[in-house]
Amino acid sequence: MSEFVKEITQGDFEAEVARSTLPVVLDFFSTECPPCEALAPKFDAVAEQFAGKARFLKIFRQGNKDLASRLGVTGSPTLVFFQGGTEVGERMSGEEIKRTAIKAQVEALLAVQ
Amino acid sequence: MAGKYDVIIVGAGPAGLSAAIYASRARLRTLVLDESVPGGQMKTTHKVSNYPGFPEDVKGTDLALAFSTQAERFGARIRRAIEITAHDLSGPVKTFELDEEDHVEAPAVIIATGAKPRELGAPGESKYRGRGISYCATCDGAYFDGKEIHVIGGGNSAVEESLFLTQFARKVTIVHQFDHFQAEPVSAAEALESPRIEVIWNSEPRAFLGETQLEKLRIENVKTKEVRELPTDGVFIFVGYTPRTDLVKGLVRMNEWGYVETQEDMSTDVPGVYVAGDIRSKRFRQITTAVADGTIAALAVQKFVKDHR
Repeated sequence: MSEFVKEITQGDFEAEVARSTLPVVLDFFSTECPPCEALAPKFDAVAEQFAGKARFLKIFRQGNKDLASRLGVTGSPTLVFFQGGTEVGERMSGEEIKRTAIKAQVEALLAVQ
Repeated sequence: MAGKYDVIIVGAGPAGLSAAIYASRARLRTLVLDESVPGGQMKTTHKVSNYPGFPEDVKGTDLALAFSTQAERFGARIRRAIEITAHDLSGPVKTFELDEEDHVEAPAVIIATGAKPRELGAPGESKYRGRGISYCATCDGAYFDGKEIHVIGGGNSAVEESLFLTQFARKVTIVHQFDHFQAEPVSAAEALESPRIEVIWNSEPRAFLGETQLEKLRIENVKTKEVRELPTDGVFIFVGYTPRTDLVKGLVRMNEWGYVETQEDMSTDVPGVYVAGDIRSKRFRQITTAVADGTIAALAVQKFVKDHR
């Protein structure tokens, strides 16, 4: 994992996501999930591009089932976007997540800030 | 400055990686691009039982790794998680822009982008994707531990992945539009005998329903026209594939279903553009037939590159 992406657990959700002053992109991932492996380097690259402007976090879905079911996340990988602790924008899920699409959505969040 | 290669292969599934093995063995400077990690559809197939050379079942991910390791051993360069942000395949030099920053080119390309799981097109499908609807059993199966789930489809993928899902789910109900499975007889029989699998025949999904998360599946019996709503914890959809032709749309000839027409040597109407694997118009789509396509394409490209040097 790159230095620009931080892994959290559901216990950190309040502090890391809900109270974050910056936009947050939260990646729910699983093991034995090739689409998750494929997303990781793209996620790292976008995280580096927005260092200091938006936060990029990842969370292991099976290990944090309570949060996953509270947010209704049943598939990996799933990206959920937050602004001021509230979920915003479209979720992204599955193998087809493109680097340019993540970038575009983060830029849109920064534009309305 | 652009990275120059003899051949650029797009797609690291069995067709693309077989092409890469043959091309790199022939000392062609070979680049393989994939938007994901290598393996194509193999990597999300939990086991493969009919690939020759493996007397026991082999995990799809292991087979994928074996293919890519072999290609890299002969010098093929595989670039993973790459997004092609611009391309031009029409002229004598084929060019790609990668991740908006990098440029690569070659006189020949083999497009082996394969096919992706087809969506049903039923209302609610995109809304609940990742909120109860999945297209990948290996990725999401474990989430449904002890749950009751539904599988849509009756071909090889639907039946084999249903068997895999019984490891986790308490009950798997297959909803299939016909009155029998299209899957191979061995897996079909295994599914019919499984105490955890139930089948609803002659039925098609009509809608996916729920609040924020998928809760119910509406199905219609195509014979009696009876409509029912079934409570569900999750739905896996395996209803065939659709070709991934974005790179060659409008450039090469395609059949009415969008698959690319080729000559026997995998060449298309455009000189230097070859295609291989599931993207191609053909009768059967298997790992073995993808491997054959990739081999033929690489051999044809060798000659093409030599003639055009």
